[in-house]
Amino acid sequence: MRTSPVRVLVVDDSALMRKLIPQMLATDESIEVVGTAMDGTFCLKKIEELKPNVVTLDLEMPGMNGIDTLKEIMRRQPVPVIVFSSHSTEGASVTMKALGLGAFDFVPKPKDAAAHMAETARELIAKVKAAAECKLKPRMLNGLPPKPEKLPALAGSPNKVVAIGVSTGGPQALEYVLSQLPGDFPGAIVVVQHMPEGFTDMFARRLDEVCPLRVKEAQSGDVLQPGRVLICPGSRHMKVKRLPLGDIVVLCDEPRVNGHRPSADVLLRSVAEEFKAQAVGVLMTGMGDDGAEGLGVIKKEGGMTIAQSEESCVVYGMPKAAIERGYAIRVVGLDIMGSTLQAICGRNTGSEVGSAGRAVRAGT
Amino acid sequence: MTNSPDERGLELRELFFETSQELLQALNDEALKLEKKPGDEEIVRSIRRTVHTLKGDSAACGLRELSELSHQFEDALSLEGTATQTAVAEIAFAAADVFTDMIAAYRKGSKLPSTKTLSKKIQDLTAAPAAGKTRRSRKAADKTASGKTAASKTSAGKTSGEKATAARASAKADALWTEYEKLAMTKAQAAGQDVYHVVVKIDPHCAMPIAGRQLVHNAIGLMGPILAVRPDAKSPAASKQVEFVLASVQTVEQITAKCKIPTIAGEVTVELLLDAADAVTPAPGENSDADDSSATDSLSPEVSMDAPVAAPSTEPAAVAAAPSPQENILRVDASRIDSVLNLVGELIIGKSMLQQALNEFSKRYPKELLRGKFGDAMAFQARVLNDLQRSVMKIRMVPVDQLFRRFPRMVRDVSRQCGREVDLDISGQDTDLDKGILDAIAEPLTHLVRNAVSHGIETPEERRKLGKPAHGVVRLNAYHHGNQVVVEVTDDGRGIDAQKIRAKAIELGMTTPEEAARMSEAEIVEFIFRPGFSTAEQVTEVSGRGVGMDVVQSVLHRLKAAISVETRLGQGTTFRLKLPLTLAIIKALLFWVEQRLYAIPLNAVLEIARTFETEVHQVDNYEVLQLRNQVLPLLRLGRPVADAERKAKLFVLVITVGERKYGLIVDLLEGEEELVIKALDDQTFHTDLVSGASILGDGRVVLILNLPAVVEHVARSRPEELGQCNAGLLLSHTDRARLAISQTIAPPVGGQA
Repeated sequence: MRTSPVRVLVVDDSALMRKLIPQMLATDESIEVVGTAMDGTFCLKKIEELKPNVVTLDLEMPGMNGIDTLKEIMRRQPVPVIVFSSHSTEGASVTMKALGLGAFDFVPKPKDAAAHMAETARELIAKVKAAAECKLKPRMLNGLPPKPEKLPALAGSPNKVVAIGVSTGGPQALEYVLSQLPGDFPGAIVVVQHMPEGFTDMFARRLDEVCPLRVKEAQSGDVLQPGRVLICPGSRHMKVKRLPLGDIVVLCDEPRVNGHRPSADVLLRSVAEEFKAQAVGVLMTGMGDDGAEGLGVIKKEGGMTIAQSEESCVVYGMPKAAIERGYAIRVVGLDIMGSTLQAICGRNTGSEVGSAGRAVRAGT
Repeated sequence: MTNSPDERGLELRELFFETSQELLQALNDEALKLEKKPGDEEIVRSIRRTVHTLKGDSAACGLRELSELSHQFEDALSLEGTATQTAVAEIAFAAADVFTDMIAAYRKGSKLPSTKTLSKKIQDLTAAPAAGKTRRSRKAADKTASGKTAASKTSAGKTSGEKATAARASAKADALWTEYEKLAMTKAQAAGQDVYHVVVKIDPHCAMPIAGRQLVHNAIGLMGPILAVRPDAKSPAASKQVEFVLASVQTVEQITAKCKIPTIAGEVTVELLLDAADAVTPAPGENSDADDSSATDSLSPEVSMDAPVAAPSTEPAAVAAAPSPQENILRVDASRIDSVLNLVGELIIGKSMLQQALNEFSKRYPKELLRGKFGDAMAFQARVLNDLQRSVMKIRMVPVDQLFRRFPRMVRDVSRQCGREVDLDISGQDTDLDKGILDAIAEPLTHLVRNAVSHGIETPEERRKLGKPAHGVVRLNAYHHGNQVVVEVTDDGRGIDAQKIRAKAIELGMTTPEEAARMSEAEIVEFIFRPGFSTAEQVTEVSGRGVGMDVVQSVLHRLKAAISVETRLGQGTTFRLKLPLTLAIIKALLFWVEQRLYAIPLNAVLEIARTFETEVHQVDNYEVLQLRNQVLPLLRLGRPVADAERKAKLFVLVITVGERKYGLIVDLLEGEEELVIKALDDQTFHTDLVSGASILGDGRVVLILNLPAVVEHVARSRPEELGQCNAGLLLSHTDRARLAISQTIAPPVGGQA
């Protein structure tokens, strides 16, 4: 724990936001807003002057916009940046770009702040604190990696179904793990990333661009395929279902679980129930304990369970909950998460392990 | 934060209402720029940014309707191809208006204005570029259709077994069916079944549509496996129409016949989606590739998204310097400053009371040593008071830009309405003016600018005929001049035709032909300020609202401001407003007329002359004074007296009103004093000859003369009546007022008011 307060610089071109955001941050005593700036040029100047621990950055600004500012920050002297993102298609896309450029995380612009002040503030404060604690690695400075070539979808069913639950710090961690996996990865991957509606689509597209795997925001009825990643859309729950012609995901609008929709628990439970020992559950960085119980169900059903190690987590919450409850069979760092998954799922043999599994299940 | 969500919400909204004004102004400014440079993407981007901020802020305040509407607009602006449309500027104007109305409605808590028209316009904006796309894709579809002629007719329900192309089917399937359903279709095809899309409309007269639907379902189920059903049985649309994907070996005709269940099924459409004969067993991979590519297609807005990122970074340096002062700006309600100012006013009265007391004290105890100490303390206090007053006044000062910036938009609208081409040229917008005055002149100035555009500037054709550039110029200027601020509205239009004014004035009975003949052109032109005078040949929506220059004049009178006009036929007109720097406290010259104390603003006084009655000459029944080498019309405020009773020596105050000089004859000078003006309410007061009153330290009431009105009063009167009733009128009127004032606002000191 740090003793001195977290120094925050708030950058936004809206006067209203420059007042509102510090107001929200002021509800936490361990955070001190050391300054505000109304555009990128000022932001860079004030970073030098004030040496903040965390910067909150609006992406839409006159003059030097958020993305350019972010690039500059990362080039000069990286500071953890939380971007404020608007609820629009474009906003989501720019947000993902910002995450790719090394932004720590994002928070959607507050809506009806007076009524939801507490929640919005809580989320922001948690992320600011997490950002202050994070060990910032200079990354992505030489631009995005070349676009990987996509392999055509593999025939047949996946041999394993990997269900990943992840929250704060997830976009970067997930991008890292998925980019480690080859296009012919034999398992199917389903992901619950706590992220608002509207952002998941862009997030999936972005991952699709940088990973050899095929990534898509899930729609009901999408088929689980080897080497395919389905991201649960924001504000829905995702479950899996086995059908005669293949395995699919089903989206539904049930109430929030653990305060989340999508909830990792919902996905992990359903993967455990449908795929039993073929299930692989992964809990990665994030606040709270969503997914811990689901991981327990996978373990009980004979599947493999993995929790991300403390030192590689941006926020060591969800994995910690699972580890403490004894649900994690393996605890691995982010750097070897990809190879671990490959080891568990094995090289693609082309054999229809899936139907074998189905046969077994039919027998039970 | 300790305050409740409600309070916080209110506070937040208040802040929004303030900051949004700047955003709206920016939106108007940018729209104007865009109108001048249609299709400039940089401007469109900055419009979008403004709308974006408005959206974010209003969303944060929970103003849902506004944030949704601005969101809609923002999204429309970010579409590729939108920027180049000329309608964008127009819509931005409309949006600025609607947003302004909405914010005003939120503020008052009244009903929100309708947003339909704007919403429609925005939709049209998005529809236009999209139309290009649809056209293209339709053409493609037409091509396929013409290849297989009957394919397009299948939907008519009269299919005769012709087969649609797989491409068409898959295009349709992509949108409708889930991956699993598509998988099922290809599997069925591979298994030798044709895949049909069956649409059955449920007869609207069917008494039990849900049961009917089930019957249709059963009937279709008999022909082969049903791979997909739309809509869901639970959905409200379920009772109107139902769609199936059916794998069957039967023909279209057979299926159609089976579905036609009397009284339940209405129109039946059967379309072949996948032909078993075409089965090449497409790999599932292809299938998913197809939707991957469709996903990238719809990603096209990304292209435009990169644009702002690539925006030239030459700007920041320029922008950087400007905004910093903003960070330190404190927004304060004007009424709070007014109350401080009011207190300063009271202090000044207190100061002169003290001064008065000290004078008496000195008289009574001329040898008392304390006198000097009192004097020092008084001087010190006076100096601080002076500074205090000046500082408070400074707080009230705002740049006239606050007023000027609304004109570009207005000039644009007005010039469009009346078919003029007008450029607005603004200068001196940094000049500071008292906020109260600024607010008060907003209306008259608006009127002047409108007039300049609609009446001053000629139509483009007229201008061309006259050899002038088609674009007229209206110039707004503000500058300091002595203790005043001058605001000018100049146009390079047709000027005011003095002959027309003369004719009209005679027609309206405001003057006689003989009198008019004697008047100079400048004097004639001043008739436009008389009540009821309007030369507008046609009553337009814009400036023919029955308010004319007389309204302008009356507002300015209230402000103790003067207006003058300078015009040259065929070359243009300048209206010049001379405004006091502030309203509340003035430096005044006090004088006596027939034992009554009056004051006039010191800045109106050019000089004080002593002269002899013998120097006064009569010209056409007007008294004039030759002072050095100029001739001044004289104004006598007192009652006329016989020549014999007149004192030989006179005090003449040389004053300026508008552009002209007058001599004001007074009995005795009292001195110079700072007066805190007390407003006079109309109830106790029926004359415009007096603009305000003040109370002196000893409690005496002094009336401040409204010089333009006094001059007008005297000048307007017939020569033979001059001096008989008007000046007397002045005195009797003001006496009544004086009485009223001393009863209402005089402090309870032992004054002999």
